[in-house]
Amino acid sequence: MQNMRAVRLTLYFFALALTLILGGCDQSLASQTTLPHAISPTPSPKSTSTPVLKLKGRANPVRLLIPAIHVNASIETVGITSNGDLAVPTQNPWEHVGWYASGPYPGERGSAVFDGHLDRPGGYPAVFWYLRDLHVGDEVRVIYANGKTLQFHVTDLAFYSPQDAPIQEIFGNEAGTYLNLITCAGDWIASQHQTTLRLVVYTTLD
Amino acid sequence: MKLKCSPVVLVCRISLACALFALVTFSGLFQKSVAAQSLAFVRIVHASPDVGTANVFLDGSKLLSNFQFGTVTDYATIPPGPHKVQIALIGKGIGAAVITQTLSVDPGIAYTVAALGTKSTGFSLDVFTDNNQISNGTAKVRVYHLSPGTGTVNVSNGNSTLISGLGYPGASNYLSLQTGSYSFQVTTTQSSATLPTVPVTLKANTVTSIFAVGVVNGTPQIEFVTAQVSGLPGMPLTGSDPNPNAAPGESQALSPWIWLFVVLALIGIGGAVVVTRRLALSHRQVIV
Repeated sequence: MQNMRAVRLTLYFFALALTLILGGCDQSLASQTTLPHAISPTPSPKSTSTPVLKLKGRANPVRLLIPAIHVNASIETVGITSNGDLAVPTQNPWEHVGWYASGPYPGERGSAVFDGHLDRPGGYPAVFWYLRDLHVGDEVRVIYANGKTLQFHVTDLAFYSPQDAPIQEIFGNEAGTYLNLITCAGDWIASQHQTTLRLVVYTTLD
Repeated sequence: MKLKCSPVVLVCRISLACALFALVTFSGLFQKSVAAQSLAFVRIVHASPDVGTANVFLDGSKLLSNFQFGTVTDYATIPPGPHKVQIALIGKGIGAAVITQTLSVDPGIAYTVAALGTKSTGFSLDVFTDNNQISNGTAKVRVYHLSPGTGTVNVSNGNSTLISGLGYPGASNYLSLQTGSYSFQVTTTQSSATLPTVPVTLKANTVTSIFAVGVVNGTPQIEFVTAQVSGLPGMPLTGSDPNPNAAPGESQALSPWIWLFVVLALIGIGGAVVVTRRLALSHRQVIV
């Protein structure tokens, strides 16, 4: 009798644990599958600064390739929003990446910066969804309008709260030739209309 | 092959493992802010009229060679903390340094370090904390008064005074100006000396520094050195509302659910442990 009770209890716990696993997987992986969805306009603050096209003898970066996470994205130039934040792509907010055109060219001395959305409204993956899966040493390639390609490699990944991010290091490090990739991370804060963290992937020119 | 424990115990252990796995899975969701050790950013401006071309040493190692009067470096990265900075004329070793000073720098902060002074006043390094963050589409300007013996100065753009009473050595507040071409006029408040105008083109999203170096009546004569860097924006908003059709605040309901799952996982683990122990105990009693 006591043994039967124990069996029942065990099964209850097993069911509970199984439910938790499925729930956990659902929470962490649900939006990693590409699902059909309605694309709504970008919720980000409008970019009022006109991106600068830099075509004075230098070719703009036009495509970003990150083989390890299957990113093959067009590049838009972005400026700064009315809030003073780096703007995000507007032509195709979910599939394009944005290049901070007031900073250096990728491949020039200094810190070039690309940003891209983590997800779309509803939590569906956007261009930089898998950025967190990159590892130190992974390749990042930039293709320019003149057909030239430069290759960088990942040197570090770091999560920051937006207020505590080392802005000077991310955007203003002139000690080498860097390309830093930024996307969101952490939990969504509805009242602030942003996530708790930002992920910065630091790369350096090969 | 004989099983060492009963199927009930085995299932119980599996459930314990599953619950632990669930807990670990959830813990992965709570990404911590991993603030890697950030560097400090330092640029140096040579503004000491009585120090010729020099070498700059940081903690005993040469950081800069042939550092000439009136030049400003780019920002260099150095580890945060105290550093011994020494400036010695070229051809003379570090042992003959004319300036030896320990400066402390904080991570993630940008600094301008000015080599200042004359033979009569002595030489020193002055540190200014910079702020290169920028607002949308504008340009920032800061004037560094590093000209000894000039007294306080005013700076205007021809029409209106932008900075007044800037003393030596000192740096003005940052001015946020519209982009375009400017011809800044610097005037001394204590003499009628005519100083050269400062033509500057302010580009969008840039920070321009204007350094007044040299002396008004003497050599090297006063001049204005400019340096322009890209402005730093804030972090972008690259996330989207996971529940865009929810009423305000509703999408935040995710966090309590996660905590509920964690609590249930802990209950599952605790329960599985208790049942496993009881079963093991009863199993042992049966054997005895």
